[in-house]
Amino acid sequence: MYKNIRKDDASRAVIVHAVLLSYTLLALYPVFLIVINAFKTRKGIFSDPMGLPGPKTFSLEGFTKVLAKSDFEVYFFNSISVTVITIGIVLLLAAMAAWAISEYEFPGNTVLALYLAIGIMVPIRLGSVSILGLIVDLGLVNTLTALVLVYVAQGLPLAIFILTEFMHQIPKDLKEAARCDGVGEFTIFFAIILPLIRPAVATVAVFTMIPIWNDLWFPLILAPGDGKQTITLGVQQFIGQYVTDWNAVLASLTLAIIPILILYLIFSRQLIRGLTSGAVK
Amino acid sequence: MAHSTRPMTDWRKAKLPVFAFLAPATIIYTVFMIYPLLDSIRLSFYTSVSGGDLTFVGLDNYRTILGDPGWSATFWNAFWNNMKFFAVHMLVQNPIGIALAAVLSLPQLKLRNTYRTLIFMPTMLSVVVVGFIWQLILSPVWGVGPEILDIFGLKSLFGPWLGKEGSALITLALISVWQWVGIPMMLIYAALLAIPEDLVDAAVVDGASHFEVFLHIKLPLVLPTIAMVSILTFVSNFNAFDLIYSVKGALAGPNFSTDIMGTLFYRTFFGYQLQLGSPTLGATVASLMFIIILVGVLFYLFVVQRRLSRYQL
Amino acid sequence: MADLKLDQIRKSYGAVDVLHGVDLDVKDGEFVVFVGPSGCGKSTLLRIIAGLEDITGGDLMIDGDIVNTKSPRDRGIAMVFQSYALYPHMSVYKNMAFGLKLAKTNKAELDERVRNAAKILQLDALLDRRPAELSGGQRQRVAIGRAIVRQPKVFLFDEPLSNLDAALRVQTRIEIAKLHQKLKSTIIYVTHDQIEAMTLADKIVVLNAGNVEQVGSPMELYHHPKTRFVAGFIGSPAMNFTRVTITAVEPGRVTVQTPGGKSAVLPFEVTTDHIGTEVELGIRPEHMGLDRAGELGVDGEVEVVEKLGDSVYLYVRLANGDRVTLRAPGHCRIKIGEAVSARADAAAAHLFDRNGQAFAKLDCPEEYSAME
Ligand SMILES: Nc1ncnc2c1ncn2[C@@H]1O[C@H](COP(=O)(O)OP(=O)(O)O)[C@@H](O)[C@H]1O
Ligand SMILES: [Mg+2]
Repeated sequence: MYKNIRKDDASRAVIVHAVLLSYTLLALYPVFLIVINAFKTRKGIFSDPMGLPGPKTFSLEGFTKVLAKSDFEVYFFNSISVTVITIGIVLLLAAMAAWAISEYEFPGNTVLALYLAIGIMVPIRLGSVSILGLIVDLGLVNTLTALVLVYVAQGLPLAIFILTEFMHQIPKDLKEAARCDGVGEFTIFFAIILPLIRPAVATVAVFTMIPIWNDLWFPLILAPGDGKQTITLGVQQFIGQYVTDWNAVLASLTLAIIPILILYLIFSRQLIRGLTSGAVK
Repeated sequence: MAHSTRPMTDWRKAKLPVFAFLAPATIIYTVFMIYPLLDSIRLSFYTSVSGGDLTFVGLDNYRTILGDPGWSATFWNAFWNNMKFFAVHMLVQNPIGIALAAVLSLPQLKLRNTYRTLIFMPTMLSVVVVGFIWQLILSPVWGVGPEILDIFGLKSLFGPWLGKEGSALITLALISVWQWVGIPMMLIYAALLAIPEDLVDAAVVDGASHFEVFLHIKLPLVLPTIAMVSILTFVSNFNAFDLIYSVKGALAGPNFSTDIMGTLFYRTFFGYQLQLGSPTLGATVASLMFIIILVGVLFYLFVVQRRLSRYQL
Repeated sequence: MADLKLDQIRKSYGAVDVLHGVDLDVKDGEFVVFVGPSGCGKSTLLRIIAGLEDITGGDLMIDGDIVNTKSPRDRGIAMVFQSYALYPHMSVYKNMAFGLKLAKTNKAELDERVRNAAKILQLDALLDRRPAELSGGQRQRVAIGRAIVRQPKVFLFDEPLSNLDAALRVQTRIEIAKLHQKLKSTIIYVTHDQIEAMTLADKIVVLNAGNVEQVGSPMELYHHPKTRFVAGFIGSPAMNFTRVTITAVEPGRVTVQTPGGKSAVLPFEVTTDHIGTEVELGIRPEHMGLDRAGELGVDGEVEVVEKLGDSVYLYVRLANGDRVTLRAPGHCRIKIGEAVSARADAAAAHLFDRNGQAFAKLDCPEEYSAME
């Protein structure tokens, strides 16, 4: 049965799995450690940090404290609303712009495409001084709208670039067939093109989402209070305040980690397909 | 950037308000990205007396930051720290990312997707969360760090790395590497997958081992992707802030040893301790960051990218 | 130079069996062609010989040694891929030199071998170019050159001509034939094109769904197909088939009733238990004629006429609905809708039982059995 398996192949497989397993452990163990200790008593955290919570050490005191003293659910809601709304707006606006750029000949087409691409390489944070001024003038300080506007501006350049490349790949025949059938341009865009770019949508969504979800900078300067904190800022502020209360700190980190892990494990397939899809070269 | 296919339909014949399609994206982008960038650069030539009216001062702000002994020491300290931060990413993150991608793309690897999913996971966590996780693990108070090292018999090596001037920056850079290694891994993995299997088979028939296939065939073919990953790393490193701020605060201690451009920008803009914040000096720091990033990007576009040909696979 | 022996080679991908026990002997210097429809396992078999796929069962011997677990580089083979698989980042020279460099061949010898191969393939002027700067035919030659420089015991070709246009395909086919005469090496060549197989092979292996249908010289397969599959696959246009019923059997002779109700006596050895059963009768288009004598005949109406210059193909519909292809001389003036009647010798017929196995044909005149 096994006589045709090459010996060096078998030993190589062992080494490869050993390497990958160790790295996986390195990637996961720190997170695991935080999560298990969040469910322990203070004594348990210090006496046996690497052990699983047992009957003697199990405790939810950290969580009760966090939920009593902060608005985690609000922060979560804020983060999710900002992220989802931003992704929706970015996708729609970027698809429209990418379609106009890739499909129509108008004066300044190439220049506009280049202009819109600047933001891929130049970080929006460098304009923060003026962005804050702008948000103050618009009366949007401490609103989620301020964050959405900035994040949309931040997400658009790469989204437009990816979608333009993608729309170039849509076969000409398809659009021309539709035009020959007398289908209007609006209908071509909404009924033919939008459904066709679905594979690129995952890519755009991922690249829009990761920097937004992780961001501390703009929440810190644009919406630092009034219950408008995102989860990232919320955790940062909470831990800053209760830094010596290990139970509370571990519990707040766990509360920030677990929902993301669940969402990640549900969507990891789409997410990774988005990251590795051919649309980004 | 150059598109091989040109747009086909003349906008006047489009029967669709082409500009209505372009306007929303262009306006938001211009108002919230391009205008603030240009306005920041403009502000860097002004000063405002205690929050009052702006007065034009030419290059004075730049002279202050680069010439004033106190400011210039701070600036160059942040700059070189940032370079070190970037160097650690280039020397650790990208090689590990390449190696993981290479291993994950080996033929007939079982559990490929599981490994990939799990290894990418830290990237999904917020930088702040990651910062605190490692702060706790490396904290001498808790003692998990020494205990883990003890498993490998290396307990004696443990030190309060995050607290010491000599090691804090490197430690933070490695934490950042731990979090972000998934991105280069994925991008390079995708590039490796795009290499036709026939090419690898041909090399194997030519007598190449798996390692030789990687070295002579795969690596040269993904060099453009590696270059792209490098410039992305450069831009995001010179724009980094969150990790240092959450672990070390705006003061980037101990003794500014973890201060990078992002934290310097924040302190200059909002002030700290006794020093008052200054939007115009902040804008000046931002403009200097812009110049640094621009130099990097132009170097990539005009030197690196021109030398690396992309091959039709 | 080497001989090759395949002994009950099996291959499965998980639960899917792709090769079901392939036996084959390849003699030193032989040009063997694997032919068969797409997906029948030709490439898989070739890749097994190359060492690119593991063997699920059976043994593979090169020069008498079992090489089942040897890596490709230790088998002394070289392979030319359908996609050419040229290294896009290397010049033509480096593409050809890559294998030798890995084997740490000394510089002078490496250079000589590469230049020699380049000369044989007229690539001298192109050595510094990248694959992207070459035409399809030139890329093809580089791929062959890369195989030649390694001086392998066995050359493996996987559909090397299928990406070339028709004219270039014929030209390159001839070049490969010349190359074989010159190098006298063992070649295994995969194609789905039976004309390539017929023109190039010393020995053809017809594969169907992971089984070897028949092994033999081109003319052997043409005149004595052992199965209905081989009969239908080899020859162009394909052999005509019609169902007939066996009515009587004598030693060396069988009487069948054709769909038209006529009886014919054919020179086949059939056992008596077949009396009353339906079997399939096959005749090649080129063996049927409009103005020909013969024991077998069909009448029908011309549906399509294809003019090829030297000959004309007539697609004829018979009274019972069967369709038959005829080859007529180029000057034939028959039009669509005309009624025609064609005849063929009984000796031109092939007869297959219900499992597609051929009945032995006796008394075969030269015209229907000539071997080279
Ligand atoms: N890696 C694989 N996994 C599963 N099935 C495969 C694989 N490679 C080939 N096959 C199957 O094996 C059969 C033979 O394939 P192949 O040898 O490529 O045929 P061909 O005769 O066209 O060269 C096909 O049905 C194909 O689907
Ligand atoms: Mg094939």
